Amino acid sequence: MSDPDLKYPTNTATPRGAGRKVRLGIVGCGAIAESAHLPAVLSSPSVELTALSEVSDPRRSYIQRRFGLGPICFDDYHEVLPRVDAVVLALPNALHASVGTEFLSRGIHVLCEKPLATSSHECKQMCETAQAALAVLAVGFVTRFFPSTELTKLVIESGFLGAVQSFDYEFGTDGGWATLSGYNLSRSTSGGGVLVVSGSHFLDRMFYLFGDLDLVSYADDNHGGVEANCVARFEGSLRGHAVQGRITLSKTHRLANRLRIIGETGTLEIGEGQSRSVTYIPTQSGLQHEISMIETARAKSEPDYFSVQLEDFVRAIQTGTSPRIDGEQGSKSVAIGERCYELAAPLEEPWCTATLERLESSVLQAKAAAIDGSYALGSSRG
Amino acid sequence: MTPGSSNVSNPPAKVLITGATGFIGSRLCEILSLTKFAVPRAFVHSTATAARITRFPLDFFVGDLCDRKSVQRAMEGCDAVVHLARGDKRVMRVGLENVLRAAADQGVSRFVHMSSVAVYGNHPPPESTSEAAPAKRTDMEYGNEKLRQEERVLKYGRRRGLPIVILRPPNVSGPFSGFSLDLMNRIRGGRLAIVEAGQNPCNLVYVDNLVEAVLLALCKPEATGEIFFITDSGALSWERCLNDHAALLGRSLPRVSATELVDKPAERYIRDSLRAVPRVLLAGELRGLLREIPAIRSIESVFYAGFQSLSGESQQKIRHIVQGPLVFEKNGTLDRSMYFRDNIHQAQCRKVAHSSEKARRLLGYSALVSYREGMELTEAWLRYCRFL
Repeated sequence: MSDPDLKYPTNTATPRGAGRKVRLGIVGCGAIAESAHLPAVLSSPSVELTALSEVSDPRRSYIQRRFGLGPICFDDYHEVLPRVDAVVLALPNALHASVGTEFLSRGIHVLCEKPLATSSHECKQMCETAQAALAVLAVGFVTRFFPSTELTKLVIESGFLGAVQSFDYEFGTDGGWATLSGYNLSRSTSGGGVLVVSGSHFLDRMFYLFGDLDLVSYADDNHGGVEANCVARFEGSLRGHAVQGRITLSKTHRLANRLRIIGETGTLEIGEGQSRSVTYIPTQSGLQHEISMIETARAKSEPDYFSVQLEDFVRAIQTGTSPRIDGEQGSKSVAIGERCYELAAPLEEPWCTATLERLESSVLQAKAAAIDGSYALGSSRG
Repeated sequence: MTPGSSNVSNPPAKVLITGATGFIGSRLCEILSLTKFAVPRAFVHSTATAARITRFPLDFFVGDLCDRKSVQRAMEGCDAVVHLARGDKRVMRVGLENVLRAAADQGVSRFVHMSSVAVYGNHPPPESTSEAAPAKRTDMEYGNEKLRQEERVLKYGRRRGLPIVILRPPNVSGPFSGFSLDLMNRIRGGRLAIVEAGQNPCNLVYVDNLVEAVLLALCKPEATGEIFFITDSGALSWERCLNDHAALLGRSLPRVSATELVDKPAERYIRDSLRAVPRVLLAGELRGLLREIPAIRSIESVFYAGFQSLSGESQQKIRHIVQGPLVFEKNGTLDRSMYFRDNIHQAQCRKVAHSSEKARRLLGYSALVSYREGMELTEAWLRYCRFL
C-alpha cells in the first residue's frame, strides 16, 4: 500500500533509495541538450545515461563522438522507452506533450524542458497522465534554482520592502538562440514567440513570487507568425496590498534586463543572470546594498544550475515527493501565455506600416501592368 | 520555359530571398507579407537573427548558401530571386555562384542582385552620376568584391539568359539600419565631425524606397539586364544629415576641413609585432590555456625558475620592457583625433550625387518616402528600441 503523504506514492519501475542510480535517457539533442543537460547528466553521481535519441543522423553521431557515448544512441525515441526509468525531454516545444505523455503513461519520469506544452489542454493531459502512472513530471525552469529567486521571495515575504506596490521585468536581446531544428521559426512548432521562448521563465517566477495575478492587457508585434516584442500588464493582491506588474520582452533589441520590485521602503533589483544575490536600494538614499545568503556568499564557485535541477528531479523520483517545479506549476505559465495571446492587441510600429498604402499603390500598378502585358503578349501569340 | 526567353514576364508568385534576416531582407519580407505582392521564401542561415521575420507566416528555408544542394532545394518552386546575402569572401563568391546557377537552372523570371555604389570605391568619378559610368577596381575591398559580384551576375545574364537586374543603393537608412545606428553611436562617442562644411551630397536611400525599387525590378519587363542607382529624391547635404542625427542626441558636431583629418598612425609591422608578442604570451588567459599542454607547463616552469633566480632589479627591468610605461590621459584634454580613414569622413569628401533618374524613367521608381519622413520613422524606432 502506498504512503498517502507522498506525492508519487509508488512506482514499481523506479528504484528507490539514495544508493541506486536512476537509469536516465535524453530525448532530443539540440543546443540545450548539448550545452546543459548532457554535461549535467554525465557528471551526476545519481543517474546513469542509458539511452539517448535524436532524429538527425549527423547530429546524433556528433553528440555520440563529442561525449564519448557507447551504443546508447537511437534515431527513434521509442528505443529509449524500455531502457530508462526517467527522461529529460529536450524536443521542440510542440512535441513535448505527445512524446512526454507516451513516457509518462509507462511510468517513466519526465523532466520536460520549458514550456511544458503549447496549450493548457496538453498540460492537463500530461499532468493527469503523470498522476495516473505515479510518475514525476518536472518542468525545466532552471532559474527557479538560482539562490537569488529564493532570496527575492524571502525579502518580499519578510516585509523588508514594506508593502510591494509594483514590479517591472524587462528582458531583451538582439537575436536569440540559434536552434538546430529551426522550431522557433513558426508558431506550430514553438507554441509562441518571445513570450514563450524567453518570457516563460519569468512568468513561472512571477507566479512563484507574487502568487496568482490577473492579466490586464497584452500587446505584441505578431503579424501571423510569432511575436518578437511584447508587453504584458498584470494586477493582483500581495499580502493584502494591491500590486501592479509589467513585463516587457524583446528579441530585436536589448532592454534593461532586470526585475525591479518597488516596495514602500525601497526597491529590489535582480539583474538577469544575477543568480546569487539581490540588490536593495532604500527609498531616499544614495546607497545600494547587495544581499546574499550567508552560505551562498561563502561558496567559492557557482554551481551548475542544470545539475542542481537534475538532482532535484532525482530526489523527487527517489523520495516520491514533488519536484521544485511540477507539472501543475509548469501549466500556469502556459495558461497565462494562452490568455495573453487571446487578449493580444497590436504594438504600435509606425515604421512598419506607415508607408504600406503608398507602396502598394506604386508597386501593384506595376504588377497589374506586367500581368496585362504578359496576357496581351500571350494572346497575340495565341 | 527557356531561361530569360521572354521580355514580358508575369510578376513572380514566389520569391527566394537570400539574406532574409538582414536589415534589407527583413524589411522586404515584411512588405511582401503585408502587401501580398508575392510569397517570400526566406533563406535563413541562422535562426538566431530571424526574430524580426518570424513575426510573419513566411516560408522559411534554413540552409547554407555555400552548399550547392541546399541552394538548389531552396530554389524549387520559386520563380524569382532577390539576392541580398552578404558575408565573408566564400559567401560573396561561392554563395553567389550557387544562387546564380540554381536560378538559371530553374529558369526564374527575374534575378534581382543587390549591389552598391561602393563599386566606384572611395573616389567615385564625376561621371558616376549615372550608372553608365564604368566601374573598375579601387582601393576599397568591399567595393571590389561587389564589383566582382556584378561581373558574375552580368555574365549569367549574357551566357545563360538569366533575366538579371542589378540595384546599386548608397548607404541605406531607416529602422534597424546598421548605417543609422553606426552614425548615432559615433556621434555619441564624439568620433564624428562635419567635413568641409558638409556641403557635399549625402547619397542615401530610405529602406522602404529601396524595397519599392526591388519590387518594381521584379515585375517591370524594362528592368531586365539593367543596372540602377536607387537613392532618395531631392538633394541632401552631409551637413543636414549629420546635424539631424546629432540633434536626436542633443549634440552638436565639430567642423573640420579635410586637411585637418589625421591618418591613423601607420602600423609598423616588425616593431609592433615584437612589442605585442610578449604581452600576448604573458597574458593570463593565454598562459592558463597553454598550461593545459604538459610540455608547455614544463617549459614555463623552467622559465619561471630562471626569472625568479634573477635579482629584483633585473626582474623590474624585464617587467618594464614587457609592459611599457603607463600613460594617463588628463581629464578634459583628451584629443579626439578625427580620422581621415573613417568611412563617413571619407564619404563627406565625395562630390558625386548618384542619380536614380534611370530607375524613375524605366521602373517608375518614385522614392515614395521623403528624407524627412524617413528620419521621423527612424526616430520613432530609435525611441522604441531605447536607443534614444
